[in-house]
Amino acid sequence: MTEKRTSLILPKTTITRRGALKGLAAGAAIGLAPGYVRYAQAQSSAPIKIGFQAHRTGIGAAYGRWYERTTMAAAKAINDAGGINGRPIEIITEDDGTDPARGAEVVEKFARQHNVDVAYGTLFSHVVVGSAPAAGELKLPYYVVSEGYHVASGSLNRYVFQPGITDVRSQVRAVGPWIANNVGKKITLVFPDYAFGHDHRDYFPEKFKEAGGEVVGMVPIPPTESSFTRYFPQIPASTEVIYHVMVGPAVLTFVKELGEFYGTGGPKLFGFIDSLEAVDINSPGLEFLDGTYFWEGSPRYLQADASDAQKAYRAAVGIDDNGASVNDAKDVSTAAHMYGCWETLYVIKQAMEAAGYQGPQDRAKLVEATEALTDFAEGPEHPQGAKRFNGKTHQVYGSQYISQVSGGKLNVVHKTAIEDGLYDTDVDYTTKPL
Amino acid sequence: MTKSASRTAVGILCAIAALAPAAALAHAADRGFVMLLPTGHYMVGGALAVLASFTALALIPPEPLDRLARWSARLLRLPVDGRVLTSTLSLVVLMLLIWCGLKGSRDPLSNPLPLVIWTVWWVGLTLLVGLFGNLWRWLDPWYGPARAVLAFAGRRHAPPLAVLPRRIGAAPAILVFLAFAWFELIHPAPDDPELLAVVVAAYWLFGFVGVLVFGHEAFTRQVECFSVFFAMISKLAMLRRGDDGALHFNLPGAKALDAASLGLSGTLFLLLALSTVSFDGLMRTFLWLGAIGVNPLEFPGRTVLIWPNTLGMMLAFATLAGAFLGCVWIGQRLAGRRGTLLETGAAAGALVWSIAPIALAYHFSHYLVSFVLYGQYALAAISDPLSNGANLFGTAGYHVLAGATTGAESAWVVWNLQAGAIIAAHVLAVLMAHVVAFRLHGDARRATVSQIPLALLMIGYTVLGLWLLSSPTGF
Repeated sequence: MTEKRTSLILPKTTITRRGALKGLAAGAAIGLAPGYVRYAQAQSSAPIKIGFQAHRTGIGAAYGRWYERTTMAAAKAINDAGGINGRPIEIITEDDGTDPARGAEVVEKFARQHNVDVAYGTLFSHVVVGSAPAAGELKLPYYVVSEGYHVASGSLNRYVFQPGITDVRSQVRAVGPWIANNVGKKITLVFPDYAFGHDHRDYFPEKFKEAGGEVVGMVPIPPTESSFTRYFPQIPASTEVIYHVMVGPAVLTFVKELGEFYGTGGPKLFGFIDSLEAVDINSPGLEFLDGTYFWEGSPRYLQADASDAQKAYRAAVGIDDNGASVNDAKDVSTAAHMYGCWETLYVIKQAMEAAGYQGPQDRAKLVEATEALTDFAEGPEHPQGAKRFNGKTHQVYGSQYISQVSGGKLNVVHKTAIEDGLYDTDVDYTTKPL
Repeated sequence: MTKSASRTAVGILCAIAALAPAAALAHAADRGFVMLLPTGHYMVGGALAVLASFTALALIPPEPLDRLARWSARLLRLPVDGRVLTSTLSLVVLMLLIWCGLKGSRDPLSNPLPLVIWTVWWVGLTLLVGLFGNLWRWLDPWYGPARAVLAFAGRRHAPPLAVLPRRIGAAPAILVFLAFAWFELIHPAPDDPELLAVVVAAYWLFGFVGVLVFGHEAFTRQVECFSVFFAMISKLAMLRRGDDGALHFNLPGAKALDAASLGLSGTLFLLLALSTVSFDGLMRTFLWLGAIGVNPLEFPGRTVLIWPNTLGMMLAFATLAGAFLGCVWIGQRLAGRRGTLLETGAAAGALVWSIAPIALAYHFSHYLVSFVLYGQYALAAISDPLSNGANLFGTAGYHVLAGATTGAESAWVVWNLQAGAIIAAHVLAVLMAHVVAFRLHGDARRATVSQIPLALLMIGYTVLGLWLLSSPTGF
C-alpha cells in the first residue's frame, strides 16, 4: 500500500492537493494543473517513492509531528514544481516508534516491501545508528536529519548521508568565538552527564579558547536528576557565562531554580534551543531567560530581515511569525531542526537529477551523485541558509544562528559563517565499496 | 540481512550508540510544566481528603449511606433488545477497520485501525461504560453473529458443545487480559496497523470459536477479558437496567454494592486491570528507568525493555494483589474474625468493588492527554480510512490541534482534572468499602475497624497515583 495522503495537519489551503494527487493516482487529470505538465513528458510517470522513517510514536513523537508536516509541505512544493526528473514524489510513512530495533525493521521494509527509492527523515541518533547497517546491507540510500555527529564520525556506512542539517560538533564549534568576544571570556559548562552533554563538553572548548576564552568550570549533572539547586554552588564565582544544554522534562525546573539561585544578577546565559524546542519561550517559569542567548539551527521567530525564501518556507510548512502552527498558536514548532527535512528532500531531488536517476537500479549512481555535491545556495530550496557539503564525510555544514531572548521573542543577533563550523577530519566514505 | 542478524547488529549498535557522540532531543514536554506546579501539595491534600472521608465515615452511622446506595430513580422503559443488530453492525465496522489496517496507510496516526482500537475503543469506551453502563454488551462483535450461526445450524436452543468448569472462574480471562496488557504496554509496535489488524482479527476469531463452543454467556463471563472488564467497570455507572426492564438512575458506584462477591479470580482480575494501568505510568518514570539501568534522557525504545518491563508488569500485579489481600486479611482480624482463607476471599471479593472507581480514574487520568490528541487524529483518519484522498465525513483535512495538550495552561488544566479524578475516586472507594464492610459485618464499629488497613492502602494509592502523574518521565 502506498501513501497518497498529503497530511492531516497542513493548513486548510493545501487540502485541494488531495484531489490533485488522487487524480494523479488514477492516471487522470495529469496536465490539468500547471505544476504537473512535466510529468506527462517524463519517461515514466510512476512516482519516486521516498520512505519516511518517522518518529510517530515514542519519545520523539513531538518532533515527529513537525518533521511530518515539513516533509509533506516540501513534497507538495516539489510536486507542484514538477517533481523529480519529471516524476512526482510519493512519501511512504513508516513509524519506527523512536526505537532503534524497529528502525532497522522499517528500513528493511522500505527496501523489500515498499520498494522505495530512498529512505529518509530519521531524527533520533540511536535510531539512525540502529538503522544504518540495514541501509548499508540493503544498499538503500538513507538520508537522515538528525544533527548527530555519527555520520561525519565515520562510524556508519557509504549509504548514509546527512545533507540537510549540520552536526552537533559543527554547531558547538561555530558559536564558541562569538561567545568569547561578545558575552564573556570565562565560561562554565552545565551539561547532562552522558553522550549528548559530552559532545558539548568535548567539542566546545577548542574554538572558544582560540578566541581567548577560558573554561573555568564543568558541571556534569546526572541524567536522572530532577532538581538542580545543589549543583549550582559548583559554578565558580569567576564565571561570566553559563553554557547550559540541559534536556528532558526537568529543563523548566532547571531554569526556574537557576533564576531563584542567582536572582536578578549572576552570570550571563548561553543555551542550546534543544532544551526548549517546541516549548513556548513565554511560559511561566522561563522569565529568567529574558536577555539570555540561545543557539538556534534556524530562527523560530520570523526576523525583520528574513529572506523571501524563509517566508515562503514558513508559509508552506504552516508556521506563523512566532514559529507556532498557523492553525494553533499553542503548538510551537521544532523550528531549529525541522528545516532539515525540507532541505534534505531538495538535496535528494538535486542528487537524483544529477544522477539521471530512474529507479532502484540507479541507487549506486545516486550515492556517487550525492557525494559529488558541494555547495547549496541560499534560496527556496535551502531557506535556512547556504551550505557546504562534504562528500567524503557525507555531512553538510552551514551557518548557525545566535538569538537573544527579548520582548518575549528570540531575536537573531549573529549568524555564523559556514567556515566557523568546519573541522579537520580524515573520514572518507568514498573509499568504501558501494 | 536476515532478521536475526539485523537484530544482533542493532543490539551491538545500540550499545555503541550509547557511547557514541549523540544528539539528544528528549523533549521538555508537558510533564515539565506539571513539575513546576505545586504537586506535592496536591499529594498531601489528596491523602488528607481520603483520610478525612474515612474518619468522617467512622463517626457517622452507615445506615443512611446504605440507604442512599440502594436508592434509584426510574427513567424510562427501554425499547426492544437490539443486541443482535448492534453486535452485527459492530462486527461489520470491525471488519472494515481490519481491512483499513491491512490496506490503509502505514502511518499509525493516519490509519483508523490503531486510532479507533487504542483511543476510541479502549480509552473512550471504557470511560463511557464507567459512566453510563455496559455498552459493550451491545457492541461485542460476537453475540449477533454467533446467534445467527447457531440459528442457521439449528442449535439456537441446544446446550453448548462444551462446558467451562465453573470452579476456574475468570482465571482464563486473567491470562487473556495479561496477554492484552503485554501487547499494549510492552510489545514494540502495538500501533503498527498491519500487525494490529492481524492481532485483532485473530482475537475476534478466538472469541467467535469460543462463543460457539462454550456458549456466549459462559465464554464472555470466564474467558473473553473485555466482556469481563467492561462488566466490572459498568458497575460504577449511574444508569442500570432494573428488574422491571426500565432504565434507572443511581449514584455512582451504588450498582457495584449490589453486585455479587467476585470470587478470587474476579478479584484478581480487577486488581490486574488496575495494576497494569499503574505500571504503564510507572514504567515511564525516571525512577523506574533508573532502576533498570536506562538513562531516562536517552530512552532506548521499547524493544530492549521487553524483559524488564514484562517482569515489572508482573511485579506490579503481585504487589497490588498482595497489598490488597493482605489489607483485607488484617482488617478481618481487626474486626474479630478468624481470617480464614475462605472468609478472607469472600470479604476481598466484596470489597474489591471499591477498586473499580480507582481503576476507572487511573484510566481517565492516565489516558487523558493521549485521548485529546489522538482522538483528533482518529476524527481525521475515519474520513479517509485508506489514505486515498477520500473525505467520507468531511473531517479528512482536520488540523490536529496539538496545542490543546501542550504548554503551561493546558498542563494546569490537565493536572487538575487528573488529580481531581484520582482523589474523587479514592474517596468514592472509601465510601463504597465502608458500605460493603457494614453489610459484611452488620455493625458500624466493626465495619470501621476492619477498614483501617484498606483505608491506609487507599491513601497510599492516592499519593502514588498523583506521583505517577507528576514525576519526570522518560517518554
